[in-house]
Amino acid sequence: MPGPLGQLRVLELTTAVAGPIAGIILADMGAEVIKIAQPSPAGRGGAGTVPALEGAPDHPWNRIPYQNELHRGKQHLALDLASEEGRALYLRLVESADVVVENFSPRVMANLRIDYDDLKAVKPDIVMISMPAFGKTGPYALRGSYGPGIDAMSGLSHLSGYPDRGPGKPANFYCDQNAGMIAALSAVAAIRHRNRSGEGQYIELSMLEGELQVLAPAIMDASINGREQMRIGNRHAWNAPHGIFRCEGDDDWVALAVESDAQWQALCTVLDRPDLASDARFATTEGRKANEDEIDPQIEAWTAQRDHHEAQQLLQAAGVPTGAVLDIAEVHADRQLAHRGSFDYQDHPEVGPFPHTRTAWRSRRGNHGVSGHGSIYGGATDHVLKELLGMSDEEAEAVVASGVVAREPLSPPA
Amino acid sequence: MTETPGALDGIRILDLASGSFGYTGRLLAGYGAEVVKVEPPEGDILRSWPPFANDEPHRERGVRHLHLSAGKRGITVELEREEGRALLLRLVAEADVLVESFAPGYLAGLGLSYDDLLKVRPDLVMASVTHFGQDGPYADYEGAEIVSVALGGYLKLTGDPDREPVKPYDDLVVGQAALHATMAVITGIFHRDLTGEGDLFDVAAIDAALFLLGGPAQTYHFDQKVTHRNSTRLLNPNPFFPYPSTLRPCKDGYIHAHQNYSHPDLLAVLMEDPSLDDLMDQAMGNATEIDEKMDAWLANYDKSEVVRRAQELRLPFTEVLTPLETLNDPHLNERGFFLDVEHPEAGTVRQPGAAAFMTRTPWKSGRAPLLGEHTDEVLADWLDLDADQIADLREEGAV
Repeated sequence: MPGPLGQLRVLELTTAVAGPIAGIILADMGAEVIKIAQPSPAGRGGAGTVPALEGAPDHPWNRIPYQNELHRGKQHLALDLASEEGRALYLRLVESADVVVENFSPRVMANLRIDYDDLKAVKPDIVMISMPAFGKTGPYALRGSYGPGIDAMSGLSHLSGYPDRGPGKPANFYCDQNAGMIAALSAVAAIRHRNRSGEGQYIELSMLEGELQVLAPAIMDASINGREQMRIGNRHAWNAPHGIFRCEGDDDWVALAVESDAQWQALCTVLDRPDLASDARFATTEGRKANEDEIDPQIEAWTAQRDHHEAQQLLQAAGVPTGAVLDIAEVHADRQLAHRGSFDYQDHPEVGPFPHTRTAWRSRRGNHGVSGHGSIYGGATDHVLKELLGMSDEEAEAVVASGVVAREPLSPPA
Repeated sequence: MTETPGALDGIRILDLASGSFGYTGRLLAGYGAEVVKVEPPEGDILRSWPPFANDEPHRERGVRHLHLSAGKRGITVELEREEGRALLLRLVAEADVLVESFAPGYLAGLGLSYDDLLKVRPDLVMASVTHFGQDGPYADYEGAEIVSVALGGYLKLTGDPDREPVKPYDDLVVGQAALHATMAVITGIFHRDLTGEGDLFDVAAIDAALFLLGGPAQTYHFDQKVTHRNSTRLLNPNPFFPYPSTLRPCKDGYIHAHQNYSHPDLLAVLMEDPSLDDLMDQAMGNATEIDEKMDAWLANYDKSEVVRRAQELRLPFTEVLTPLETLNDPHLNERGFFLDVEHPEAGTVRQPGAAAFMTRTPWKSGRAPLLGEHTDEVLADWLDLDADQIADLREEGAV
């Protein structure tokens, strides 16, 4: 079944993670997404390249796992935008497009003369979205940064991690997925507006400002109360007990949150500790919070003798919010994620079955899933040149021969 | 002068989501939808969560409520009573979208399942947002932020290798689930506009956590190697992987240090230490040695000076800012990002502004509603009820 955005064509001029995330969400929803990149060597990350399927061509640039994830369901076009011919081809392509997504630093589109005004001149109702780290205006407009550097400036780093150590970083990424999703939903909202009004628009998404939405509690505690919040590790601002507790095994843990008196009583029952259940000091949230240093070791005395999955089951059966702290292998085996089909396997012609991580929602109509495998370098070449731009075979081959469009990386990595 | 409409102008949303899941409705209101926050008579639990404006616990002064409910109108409906459920159905008939975050099965038990709602609104777009999803082995589990961060694989990858995993700030993953729900709803509206068909979305926070993982979830499929938490470094342990991308201390705080991928030699230029160049061939493999050399140099400079020098060379370094520093940051303030919102109980509230700057369909701010503030107004607007009819509903205990 075609996805809800099946009538949209999206041109994606992106780098790193946030821009490609915006594109995969739109591709998942059925949009035709053409990723446009400079003809170049296949780039860094060659160290993670996975083996080729038997019989598949030896194109290591198509076998980098995270690139395949970030370009699932898209078509790839290697186009030299810095050349006059490449720019002209791009502007012709824009005439047939609905949305352009880009996340280069603010000077890049202007230097290439493909900024919003240039696009609007050839496609008046185009929706263009830029995703600069800090925005296109202001003192930091020209600063470079990747997602983790933006986490530093939003306060997220300061507020994450161990209270007795320096600022922390959430797993691999946060900022990029956040900005990518905001970009995607802004694009769809803008297309709704275009469909109703005939009017396109330019959207500027500062990745920093997108991230600051979830920092509001700390930002507003600062702005109203003048308070400087500090990271609190695995503890909770007001509930207790709350944290992760060591289980059997080298690095196995269970996460637990008690958010009510009833959950506290249930926890004490599972722990078989009537003494804790009846201790008046622990009867209220405030009391437990004041005494959590005393409570936490009592919980760990129980969890440390149990497998983390078993601890999860026993505590959840009693109604205590608990979850095993899963590693990557366990995530792939988890029953609930399996039930939800959270990994969507698509057959990639050069690496075989590949697990794509679905977005967090399931549609009753069923047409909101991953729409295809990771893109193949140059895979959009014929579609773009012949079908969208109407070139003959000879004209298309002449463009490729000129080097403006490339079917393969210029100098494949060793 | 009439106000320029937002992108979702004319869309009516019933927002029954609770706590931090209210972010979905906040975003939809920001994009111009008419969002009505439906609360029980005692108010959403969000109102009881700290911190509070001026540290006075009060149901109208919680900053989470002031932020997440901004731009919504507020009504109270007693769903535990038949009269309240009947009223909700009348409101659903006038709504485009319903968002909720009750435990799975709760609404169905009240006769308010999606199929029940379709009978009064055949093209309804609905999103149910929970920690684990509407069905499956964990559907009846009790949820919490830290639990979803753990089960989605995100917690174990966060923290130092020599310490326990450590949860990131606050309700980050619930916020992501709410963000995913927003995308689902907007796409659902788009689809409905084209086809006349509604849709139901089942959104789970554990999936939102999983979506944040990135590459490790994919590489495992090929090498069966479990990725480990790596402090503030990127997670790829390959010794040839680029470095630095990390947080390090300097003279007056911390900075984020990051390599220029095209010019790895720039780090040695910044720190005037040619010996750094020798470490760049296997940068991740030499990360600890690179840290030691960076730390020695960084100890001489304030964070602002480090970032100024690095950015001049096009090294993407940034300062680690505290909330007060972010609030006072000259860049954000020159852009006018923070908004001062007047609230009758909380006074002037400075809070985050637009998630995205849409040049033709501006972001909508507004303030959080008082509990039940707009009950009469919404019943009049949506259902054409007069004062007597509303008084009857109040008498019946529906509102």
